[in-house]
Amino acid sequence: MGIDIRNMDRRGFLGLAGIAAAGAALTACAGTGGDAGSAAGSSSASEDASTVTFWSNHPGRSIDVEKELIRRFGEVRPDLTVQLVDGGKNYEEVAQKFNAALSGGALPDVVVLSDVWWFNYAMAGAITPLDELFTAHGVDTGDYVDSLLADYLHDGGHYALPYARSTPLFYYNKDVWTAAGLPDRGPESWQEFDEWGPRIQEVVGSGHLAHGWGNAADYLGWTFEGPIWTFGGAYSDRWDLKFTDAKTIEAGQFLRDMIHTKKYAAVSNDIANDFSAGLLASTIASTGDLSGITTNASFDFGTAFLPAAEGVPGCPTGGAGLAIPSGISDERKANALAFVEFVTNADNTAHFSQNTGYMPVRKSAVDNPDMKAFLDANPNARTAVDQLARTRSQDYARVFVPGGDQVIGTGLEKVALQNADVETTFADVQSRLQQIIDRQITPNLK
Amino acid sequence: MIAVDDRPRVLHTTTRDEEQRHRARARWVTVLGYAAMVCVLLIVALPLFWIVMTSFKERQDIYTIPVTWWPSTFHPQNYGEATRSVDLAAYFRNSLIITTVLATVKFVLGVLSAYGLVFLRFPGKNFVFLGIIAALMVPNQITVISNYALVAEWGWRNTFQGIIVPLAGVAFGTFLMRNHFLSIPAEIIEAARMDGAGHFRLLWRVVLPLSGPTMVAFALITVVNEWNEYLWPFLMADDSSVAPLPIGLTHLQNNDGVTDWGPVMAGTVLAMLPILVIFLLLQRHMIKGLTSGAVKG
Repeated sequence: MGIDIRNMDRRGFLGLAGIAAAGAALTACAGTGGDAGSAAGSSSASEDASTVTFWSNHPGRSIDVEKELIRRFGEVRPDLTVQLVDGGKNYEEVAQKFNAALSGGALPDVVVLSDVWWFNYAMAGAITPLDELFTAHGVDTGDYVDSLLADYLHDGGHYALPYARSTPLFYYNKDVWTAAGLPDRGPESWQEFDEWGPRIQEVVGSGHLAHGWGNAADYLGWTFEGPIWTFGGAYSDRWDLKFTDAKTIEAGQFLRDMIHTKKYAAVSNDIANDFSAGLLASTIASTGDLSGITTNASFDFGTAFLPAAEGVPGCPTGGAGLAIPSGISDERKANALAFVEFVTNADNTAHFSQNTGYMPVRKSAVDNPDMKAFLDANPNARTAVDQLARTRSQDYARVFVPGGDQVIGTGLEKVALQNADVETTFADVQSRLQQIIDRQITPNLK
Repeated sequence: MIAVDDRPRVLHTTTRDEEQRHRARARWVTVLGYAAMVCVLLIVALPLFWIVMTSFKERQDIYTIPVTWWPSTFHPQNYGEATRSVDLAAYFRNSLIITTVLATVKFVLGVLSAYGLVFLRFPGKNFVFLGIIAALMVPNQITVISNYALVAEWGWRNTFQGIIVPLAGVAFGTFLMRNHFLSIPAEIIEAARMDGAGHFRLLWRVVLPLSGPTMVAFALITVVNEWNEYLWPFLMADDSSVAPLPIGLTHLQNNDGVTDWGPVMAGTVLAMLPILVIFLLLQRHMIKGLTSGAVKG
């Protein structure tokens, strides 16, 4: 120690304290000086243009698959190294981490953003519209599944490319179905399921359930979106909220009745696990759960389209895409796009899809011989791919309103768990969403 | 006369009555005390028991209705699975480094700053203390964004110093130690000063030996807090080279898919053990310090 604390006099101490205080004050306000840092901070390693930093939450426990894709990319582009960064345990965490990075410096090159997150960042100008880059670097977007690509359209530009894209899927326990004397298929409509439900409940007995819904954190707002559409309702029509619409309320009432009046359904805290443990005879879960359920279920199970009449959309798209931040250099953007294009090309999306259960995002992937063989061997996976044609992009209220998913999910949860009155609950959801729209969306829209 | 004669008897019965009532009340207090203890024990121990049991359960045993309190077959393979699928050793090492450094720094800073606030004379002392208290009131989630910008600018993302330095500020410890130092009788300090003890000797030989239990409490709280710190390391760390255990544990969970809770719980138990050991070790000192202080007065 250079300072002899025992013999320090008063003046010396005060001086030292002053220096410490000045240091503290400097630290306190230095945080705001970072907004130029993304361009200026060339000292940090991630600014190195030959490294592509990829922030992922490894959706569907795909870390090994992602490493394999990165290895393949290394063969095609040996000049680039890809650094896979653990972005968090779910889409919310990776978005949060990205949000922190936007405050200055150390931006990733590629980031996984889910259906409910990309729009916020697109509106804030934090992620790049990719169309100019597509033309400049000759990326053909025509091969991407149209509906999946169109999900990222805002203000005339595409803000991400589809990656770990999923849809809800109806899973049912075939053994229970047989015992209840039901045909080996999913219900064709929610009305039909309403007849089946009590019969299934009789077979499974108390303690088990004929149907389980995910909770708000398990995206109840997503899995119930399709059912609401089949009743003719919706969360919203563009920015126009529809929660007070009679059809939407009717759908909410249906949810309430199957749980509280007919008692053959309930909200489960872990649908995928509860279903594969045989506690739920059927559930609506993400296609991303397919590989996990296949490994864990000890019984024969089937998958089906979400109940909907022919020509009526009864199933939303979902899942995550890959976006490129706007605050990085053009060279990094180009490299990032090359990586994104590569990991979502026909062969790689087929590989990713087979190992996770997410949708192949390219049209040509279905013709990939490997994928063909896989789909023939796994009819459950084929259901998910076939259902794609019958999906619809989600309502703005859930995916574009910041925090909208949780507001809707919590509202539905209230109906499902607490037997709350549908009309008042939905009205409350509507007013909360409207507030967010008025405050955060309307001023930012051109 | 009769009245005088009566009085003691009446008095006697009231005391006996009172005594009985007193004893009854004491019994009630004991019963309630035990009930409260059982209650607290259940609240604290039940989840712990559940974690430990689940870590030994096979998958089918975890998801059953009614619940099974004891695994039908012990399945220690969960521990192998947990350490295999995630590099727990690396996360463990990182946690150890981060916690050791942070706890040491915080401890030294806390003790020194509290010493300064109590035993040094300088103007504006109360303002400094107020500033520290104010810092205690700001939750660290608020400072995250500005800290992030600063640390990223320095190129400290994904480094140990990036995780450690912004967390090293200490307000709680200063507050705790200061209040304890104030309670030390002024005569002892005066006597030491008259014997010619400088600041260092005063701190080392007089103040600290009188502060055992508070110090142990402070150290324990700090270690547990740093061990469990999640948000900041999560934002800073990019991979297993610097990320601590709580982040490693989340990788055992499968988002948008099926989580296998057996290994997750096994990992949780492994992460919990070191803290449990430290707690048991320090707890003994805490009690020893308490009693020795009481005897010496």
